Amino acid sequence: MTHVRRSIAGSTRGVLLLVGLTVGLGHAWLPAAASDAQADLPAVLLSRQLAAARNLSAGDVVELSGDPSGANPRRFRVAGTYEPMPDPIRVTSERLEVRLHLPDLLDLGADPDDPLAADSLSAINITLENPDDAGVFARDLAARVPTVGVRASRGGEGDRNPFVVLGRFHLAIAILTLTTSAVFLLALMVLLADERREAVGTLRLLGLTRGRVLLQVLLEGALIAGAGALFGVAFAALTEGAFNRYFQWRYDTALVFVRITPSIAWRAVAMALPLGMAASVLASWALVRSETLALVRR
Amino acid sequence: MRALAFAWRSLARRRGRTMLGILGIAAAGALMFDMLLLSRGLLVSVREMLDSIGFDVRVLASEGLPQSRVPLEHALDAARALASLPEVAAAVPFRIGEAEAAVGGDRPPSIAVFAIGSTTNRIWTIVDGHDLPEGDEPSVVVNDRLAKRLHASPGDGIQVRGRCTAGPSILPPVTVRIAGVASFPFESGAQLTMATRFAVLDRLCERPPGEADLIMVASRPESGPDAAVDAIRKARPDLYAFSNDEVIERFEAVGFSYFRQISAALSIVTVSFGVVLITVLLTVGVNQRLGEIAALRAIGFSRRRVAVDVLWESILLVGIGGAVALPLGLALSMWLDAILRSLPGVPATLHFFVFEPRALWLHAALLAAVAVGAALYPMWLVARLPIAATLRREFVS
Repeated sequence: MTHVRRSIAGSTRGVLLLVGLTVGLGHAWLPAAASDAQADLPAVLLSRQLAAARNLSAGDVVELSGDPSGANPRRFRVAGTYEPMPDPIRVTSERLEVRLHLPDLLDLGADPDDPLAADSLSAINITLENPDDAGVFARDLAARVPTVGVRASRGGEGDRNPFVVLGRFHLAIAILTLTTSAVFLLALMVLLADERREAVGTLRLLGLTRGRVLLQVLLEGALIAGAGALFGVAFAALTEGAFNRYFQWRYDTALVFVRITPSIAWRAVAMALPLGMAASVLASWALVRSETLALVRR
Repeated sequence: MRALAFAWRSLARRRGRTMLGILGIAAAGALMFDMLLLSRGLLVSVREMLDSIGFDVRVLASEGLPQSRVPLEHALDAARALASLPEVAAAVPFRIGEAEAAVGGDRPPSIAVFAIGSTTNRIWTIVDGHDLPEGDEPSVVVNDRLAKRLHASPGDGIQVRGRCTAGPSILPPVTVRIAGVASFPFESGAQLTMATRFAVLDRLCERPPGEADLIMVASRPESGPDAAVDAIRKARPDLYAFSNDEVIERFEAVGFSYFRQISAALSIVTVSFGVVLITVLLTVGVNQRLGEIAALRAIGFSRRRVAVDVLWESILLVGIGGAVALPLGLALSMWLDAILRSLPGVPATLHFFVFEPRALWLHAALLAAVAVGAALYPMWLVARLPIAATLRREFVS
């Protein structure tokens, strides 16, 4: 059994039943004879990260205090560990957390001078029958009970949502990468067209029209771009797991960082195809417009 | 003819291909340069912001992250004790709160409130009116945005109500006088800001007096921040003191790693792009000139010389592309910076893409590596070219 004393700061300001633990203090062993009494202790759950950091497991006894100095601690039995809900906002924070039953938390954080402290909550989470009604429900409840703040947990933030902004940043980076790829593709197609100067001349001498040659070039560009896009999507899908595992290890979280969805895959192919076709036509334009004899002249 | 001039003429003969190579390197180089600006931009910018307000040590009640910090009790007494240390020039308690303007309407504007102890060191700059007066008068300085929002100016009285819990405030409004209008270094683009004395914030939130979030300390120039931190830790072992360097180190370890990793990943991608592009261009160019190169070898050019010609071609392509990449990258960085700065709560003076000479040197070093790396294969091709067999194949057959 391991015995840890922690401080809980401002529990009524924190997230309900989720207590951030910040200051690590020492370990102490409890006598084995205490094991019978442990069953009567209130149970808590520890986050996986806290259990690992302090070498705690189910059955251990910990002490928690609502006072920043660690005064007046209360003993709890560790009932088990849990994986904290992945939260992108807190991805760089250490998730050293404990979950308590609500009465235990209220009891722990109650201010003896404040009679309302043991009866005050930070928030009440509500699940609606119809989640689409969240906005209407929030407005209705706020009008009926003006002393509480009510807001829908999803949507409505627009530009105030940091992930909307980060998404915009990633899109901008993708556009720049795509532009660089387009220049690269154009260079390759120019080289390809240059290499096939005589072949195009021969095809023209055989009677193929400019339009027919251009169509062939267009199809080749589409094939190359399509194959490249498919390779890219397959490569991304194959490395998706490695990316996620690295970042999950780096930040010690269950958060998923990279997810290749069908929509993203289709978007990549849909952008690559016209880009490849445009690059091949652009690169071959001068070649197709040239006089046939000029193409085959040595 | 010198190798450089020879390489230049060789590239000039194939203008279209050369232009594409330069364009490709310019695009990839601009992205790479931006990533170099991003890799440390936030750190440099935060560092500049921390240094700009004249305090180089932060003292807290715990070493936790901001959301889990505990309030510093008896902060005014603690600040006085710290200010008496010989290494410390000033110690000022500081607290952040929230209030709302007591005006009509469904959604009264939310105001960030900074409470600061008595000091001549200011973290804001007065642009109109006067600074906070000494004494008990409930005065505030507000930012220009708040003054305009409330249609108020220095000398006017406004009513504000503390917003000290998660829900709407039910605390009674307090009338305060606007002493002046100021600009604040840490405020975000849309933030309404108000600075005042501790007594006013205590009244707004009906909290016990003397609590602070942190004490900001200015060390004496002759001592420096490290000596001040040591002295504070010795004098008050119950408090946690951090110099600006230590704050930056902690941010670097956790908070800023996301952009650094994005930057590293994209830099690797762009460098690989550059190497493959130039390798392809040079290799195809060399393959199309095998006969010409064999002829040069036949008239006395050494293996080393023809290989150096190819290297110079690579250096010219990458060098010109890299130079074009700099202004292009700077222009793009402004666009990307503007996107990231629209993140909610980001201070208006904070930047994600910040130029520093180190980025320029790294950019040059990476492009040099691209030039050399891209030239290796075509150099190997021309160096091992069999003269007689190539001449026979290219000219006779």
